[in-house]
Amino acid sequence: MSNNKAFAADASRKERIKEWVSRPGGFGIITGSLMFAAITLVGFIYPLVGPYAADEFVGESLEGPSLSHPMGLDQLGRDVMTRVFSAVPADIGIAFLGVTIPLTIGTVVGILLGISKNKYVVSTVSSLIDGINAFPLLIIAIAMVTFLGPGLFNVVIILTLMSWARYARIARTKAVVVLQQNYIEAAKLMGYSKRRVISKHVAPNVSSESLAYALSDFILVIIIVSGLSFLGFAARPPMPEWGSMIADGRTFLGQAWWLTVFPGLAICWSAISLSFIVEGLSRRDRGNS
Amino acid sequence: MNRNVFLRKLGGRLLRTISISFWVMVISYSLMRLSPGDPAEARLGAGADPEAIIKLRETLGLNENAFVAFVDYFTGVLRGDLGVSLANDVEVLEIIKRTFPLTLTYIVLSVFFAFIISIPIGTIIGWSNKASAVYVFRGITSIIIATPNFFIAMVGILLFSVKYNWAPLFGYVSDFPGNLKYLWLPITVNTLILVSIISRVLQTSVVDTRAEEFVETGIIRGVSRPRFFWFYILKPSLAPTVVLLSYMMGTMLGATVILETIFSLPGIGRELVGAVLANDYPVVQGILLLFGVITVFLSFIGDLLAYALDRRVKL
Repeated sequence: MSNNKAFAADASRKERIKEWVSRPGGFGIITGSLMFAAITLVGFIYPLVGPYAADEFVGESLEGPSLSHPMGLDQLGRDVMTRVFSAVPADIGIAFLGVTIPLTIGTVVGILLGISKNKYVVSTVSSLIDGINAFPLLIIAIAMVTFLGPGLFNVVIILTLMSWARYARIARTKAVVVLQQNYIEAAKLMGYSKRRVISKHVAPNVSSESLAYALSDFILVIIIVSGLSFLGFAARPPMPEWGSMIADGRTFLGQAWWLTVFPGLAICWSAISLSFIVEGLSRRDRGNS
Repeated sequence: MNRNVFLRKLGGRLLRTISISFWVMVISYSLMRLSPGDPAEARLGAGADPEAIIKLRETLGLNENAFVAFVDYFTGVLRGDLGVSLANDVEVLEIIKRTFPLTLTYIVLSVFFAFIISIPIGTIIGWSNKASAVYVFRGITSIIIATPNFFIAMVGILLFSVKYNWAPLFGYVSDFPGNLKYLWLPITVNTLILVSIISRVLQTSVVDTRAEEFVETGIIRGVSRPRFFWFYILKPSLAPTVVLLSYMMGTMLGATVILETIFSLPGIGRELVGAVLANDYPVVQGILLLFGVITVFLSFIGDLLAYALDRRVKL
């Protein structure tokens, strides 16, 4: 009997999942999420169980792809596949920090600006935000490397210093709209404290928009982190990182295409998986198939 | 809109553009001030002669009060004086004049080609709105957008320079017909990326325009085909595309840094990378300021163009 019940619940869950997938964009969201989960999992598991270490010299330099080294060996005889997968924390991890930290700070600042009644504070901070947003992200990140020095940790600092402004702008625009809604008025009338109204009623409604933006920003930041490393400003050589691996491979482009192509495909894979999710979500939002 | 109202709005928008430019300058100036270490020491190295450090601090204005130094810098910028390179005593403005035209050339060319290619693609796919075509189109373009430009460039070099020898790997000649040999591959890479972005936006906005009532009116009134496509479909749809493109220009300028490094083109982006590696602060500041101001003014021009194309756009 109980078995039957569980079965029924299971069936209805299956139905619900089916229904959810069949709605517009479901295919993109599922494919994207699976692709992204795959590269993240492989990135964290492969270095633990793989036969080689990322900076271990395992054979002849520039040995082509073979069965024991599916992606070949690099100029120092290191296994490219191990290095491509070991680079996941450096690329996706750093990009994740570079999105979530500014997302949090920017959203808080934006909500505060939306609430604030002090005209001078609002206009000063807003023009600072406009000023920061005026710079192309990659350009100002490169320029800040001059003053902070290269390194992955500094990239997170730079991204935080620069990206919060875009999130603050989005959050502020949305906060102004949300604050005029009836449910906020209702929550105030019910006598909830200001803090509760902000954290339980304003913040969740504001953050939906910021989260949607953050997802597409994630793609951009992965490309920026690897781009900075490509130029030699983020990850430093012995560390496995896709951008710097591509930069290394550049010298050997004529003899050893695998040095460049495989890390490049890894970046594409991660960015494309995210863009499938973004595309799927926006289709779902528009409601067409 | 009334002419006076328009002028007032235009003035307000221009004022805002100028005030943002001012902030851009404040930020590009204060980066050096806010850096955690001593910039002079960072440039000369830890074991440098203390007198040289003091002298460099003097040149950079680090000994002065931050406000006074900023006012100095500000008035200098207004006079067109962006400082002098620490590496070779050349004026920063001279460096920009020498390197920027090349960058501008290939950006303008790629934007031009990108528009020529995107307009038919975006309009046809948006107008037909056939599910399978839209699916393939959006799939391909999102893959291109998600691919970093340096990877596309590397694959391009791998194919056209290494395999077929159609484009030289290194070097550059600056006279006109000769430089095309070096420029066609970077322009193609840039155009490919731009086409994906522009045609996507255009396709979306053509779909939106199609749903407007005036389109139906146009069909009923039997407007001639070319006229219909230009006035009823393309013109209103181009407005969002132009706005987006003007915002995108900043990102485009950023992308040139990487492209110029890969193709070893002596443009402003490679100059910036060199200046960063050499801790040449005045050059970094000058280029940063230039890029910031260009981005701000381009978005102003983009809004104006969009307004010219579609009067419903808010200035």
